[in-house]
This record gives sequence, C-alpha cells and structure tokens, in this order.
Amino acid sequence: MLGLGIESTAHTFSCAVIEKKGTRSKILSDVRSIYQPPDGQGIHPREASRHHVKNAAIVLSECLQKAKVKVNDLDIISYAAGPGLGPCLRVGAVVARSLAFYYNIPIYPVNHAVGHIELGKMLTGAKKPLLLLVSGGHTMLLVFSLGKWRVFGETLDITIGQLLDQFGRFAGFASPCGKRIEELASKSCNYIALPYVVNGNDVSFSGLLSAAKLEISKGLEDVCFSLQETAFAMIGEATERALAFTREKELLVVGGVASNKRLAEILTSVCKRQDCKFFVCPGYYAGDCGSQISLTGLLESSVKNGVKIEDTFVKQSWRVDSVEIAY
Amino acid sequence: MKKTLIKKGAEADIYLTNWNNEKAIYKKREPKEYRNLILDIKLRKHRTIREAGIMHDVKLFGIHAPLVYFVDTKKTSILMQYIEGNLVKDLPDRKLVKICKEIGRIVGRMHKSGVMHGDLTTSNFIIQKDIIFLIDFGLSSRTRKIEDHAIDLRLFKEVLNSAHTAIMEQGWTNFLQGYKSIVGVARKNQVFSYVSIIEQRGRYATVV
Repeated sequence: MLGLGIESTAHTFSCAVIEKKGTRSKILSDVRSIYQPPDGQGIHPREASRHHVKNAAIVLSECLQKAKVKVNDLDIISYAAGPGLGPCLRVGAVVARSLAFYYNIPIYPVNHAVGHIELGKMLTGAKKPLLLLVSGGHTMLLVFSLGKWRVFGETLDITIGQLLDQFGRFAGFASPCGKRIEELASKSCNYIALPYVVNGNDVSFSGLLSAAKLEISKGLEDVCFSLQETAFAMIGEATERALAFTREKELLVVGGVASNKRLAEILTSVCKRQDCKFFVCPGYYAGDCGSQISLTGLLESSVKNGVKIEDTFVKQSWRVDSVEIAY
Repeated sequence: MKKTLIKKGAEADIYLTNWNNEKAIYKKREPKEYRNLILDIKLRKHRTIREAGIMHDVKLFGIHAPLVYFVDTKKTSILMQYIEGNLVKDLPDRKLVKICKEIGRIVGRMHKSGVMHGDLTTSNFIIQKDIIFLIDFGLSSRTRKIEDHAIDLRLFKEVLNSAHTAIMEQGWTNFLQGYKSIVGVARKNQVFSYVSIIEQRGRYATVV
C-alpha cells in the first residue's frame, strides 16, 4: 500500500510517501521545507502558513518524483490534523483534501504526536516502550494501555523545546535554537545553580527559563551549559521514576529535542541504571516530517476507512491521550 | 553492616539490612553520574534531610510511616524501619479500588497537617494486614498551599489513569470521598478545583 503523508503543524511543511507491505514499511521519499523566522524571533503563525502555501506544491511534486509515484498510485492520503498552529494546519489539510477529493483517494486525519511515536517505533524496532516525547509542542512520558497512550508524566507549563527556543531567542539566536545552545554548552563545564523542579513524574520549566535569562550576563556558554544540565537532569529523573514504577524494559525517545547528544547521554545512563534498552529516533526523522503522518495513516487504514471530506478537520489542541488506537 | 540490594529506585538504592536485631531498610542516594556534580550533591543532601524530617513528623499526625533510625548527610543515606507487606500498586484491582478511600483519608490527614508528599504513587503505599504505611518522602515538603496539595492529588489521579486504567474512575471517586471525610467539603472542593486548573494548563488540554 502506498500512503502520502502531509505535515504542516508548525514550521515544517513536509510530504512523504511510504510503502507498506504487511507489517513492513519503507520510506520512499520525505521532502521538507522549513520556515525560518528572523534571528531572535519565533514562529509567526501567519508568516509560517504563507511559507507553507508558497512551498506546498514544490514539496509535493518533489516528494512524488523522488518516490517515483503518481498521485493516482496512492492508496491513501493522511495529513496532520493537530495539535499545532491553526493557520499552518489548514494549509496541510487543504492540500490533502484537494488531492483526496479530485483523485478520489481515502483521506485520514492524523494526530501529530502519534505520528512521532509510530515512526520512532518503526525506525528503532522498539516493541513496547515507555515513551518520552520531547519537542517544541510536547514534553511527555507516555505508556500504552487499553487502546490509548496514557500520560505518565508531563510538563506543568512550557515544553523543553519552548524552554530552549525562548531562552535562545532572548539571547538573539535563530530559531530553532537547540543546536546552538548545545554547541555553546559543550564549551563550558561551569555550573550556575538554577531552579530544579520535579513533582513526582511531572516537571516544570518556567521558573528555570526566567532564572536562566537573569543569569545571562554571567557568560552565555556557562548559562547554556547550566540550562541544559538542569533541564535534562529533570527529564532524566522524571524518566527514571517512570521506568522504576512501570518496570518497562524499553525507553524510546522521539521529538525534535531527541537529537540532542547530551540528553541522549543522560538517558543512556538512566537506562543503564534501570536495566532497560534505550532507543532514540534517528536525528533526521526526530523532527517534524511527512513520514510520521504517512505511516500513522497507513496503520489506521488497516483498521478503519478514511473519513468523508466534509468530516475532515483541524484541531489546534488535540491531546495525544485522547486518540483511540485500534491497530 | 551486611546488606542486600532489594530495589534500585529512581532516586535511591534500597537495601535490606539489620539494626539492633530488627530488619531494617538502608536507603542510599547514590551519586548520579549523569547529573552535574554540584546539582547532584545539593539534591541528594536536601532530599535526605527533608525525607528523614518529614517521615518523622507525619507520625505525629497519625500517619503510619517507617521509624527513622539513623541519618547520614555525608553519605546521603537513611536507616529506617522495615515495613513488611505488599505494595498497593500490586494489589488486585478489586482491592485497590476499596483501598483508594483509605488512601484518600491518609492524604487528607497529611495535607491537613501541612505536608505534601510530592510523589503520591501507588508504589509508595505499603499494606500490612489492614494498616497502610506511607513511604518515600524524598520529594515532600511542608506546605499548606492549595496548589501544592492539588499537585499531590493530580499526580495520584495521573497514576491511576496510566497504571490502573481499568479502575481509574471508581478509584478516584473513592479517593476523593476519603479525602473529603478528613479535610471537609469546602477544602476538598478548593483543592479539587485547583486540580482541574493544573490539568487545563497541560499542553493542548483546552480546546481552541
């Protein structure tokens, strides 16, 4: 089966084609165009959606060409229906609807977070993992139980991605700022005390963000280092608590921040202590991409039919723990 | 001191040992290699002191908790009473649902006395015949703030939802009933409505 996936929840517009044969899936193409805000600024939803509109056709045709398929060959089309920025989501949905309607192809709205999870599972081979989703939109620990991903712990305010980006923008970096912060952090080992907040399995980053901003005059490298050390240690501890409680034997990390080396190092150490296998989504597919959406749509198509065009939707707030998973 | 490792917890290693011919638990917060050294020492020391202090205090409010025998702030370890029994987490669903009410009462009593637990999971309650012991006060603190108490409740709800999904609804109702019977309707309602506020702060919880 051939599935096209369209991702447009935030700064990335991406199309991907995946071929699924039985339980095996293969990514035939995955093309992206990423909206780049000016340095020191965040994603402006309207500007990002304009970027998506401008690039949608280019990305789509390149994606089909690379996969060597025609629209007519596609068995299903899926799009990320949420959570995300409204104007951006609508672009992906419009592209998906147009194709589905004109070519009469079944259409599937997909939850973006489930997309991260499913692609991570496929690429790493993790079977029944405790899941850590770390990105600009999410910071969550999830376990699968009775047909849904259940939240075991999460951030009580901003996400780890927002923490890094908002701090980075304050320092004048270009978004997304994670890479730059990681680079600067690796040049220091001078720890400045910052607030560390873990409530059971939950974390809170807002106090840490304010404190880090206040310390910036003490040296950017030192603050970047201390910010990473504190935030990732918090995630490490929350994860370790969840592992100790659930006794899961696998940990899978997905989401944009999964590509951070220091975080991976910390989590590897956590897994060693808890005698657990560690899986991390490969860097290129950790960030938002069409493959996540395409794969999830294909999995859904194994248990249900596509939705009617008039029933397709976008939902800016669509919590992952509200999605029924039947496959 | 002879000791056998019985659990590698998230925060500390738990050993079974002997103290004055009694079975005892030796809880040691080992350095975490992944954590920055300064941060690591600070956290381990604070939590050891706080845990020992509050574990002692709650007994004055009529909550069953292990007796503290010895605290070592350098080694960040606590020697305490061994509690025989089963983790509430491992009980069959039918029993767990019932016990939620008593857990609610215990938590109510603790909150009423100005302590939050900070890690209110079902693996931190041990049932011994018909007595329930509360353990692991590493994240506890002395507070009477509604928000802090709500954090305790929310965590317990989250654990019911993710680890005991099948009995979540009834278990939670029972918990609240027990809680209310101690803190009173007004306070329960205040804390409970704060739980919803925290939940709505969750990512994508409110529909736009």
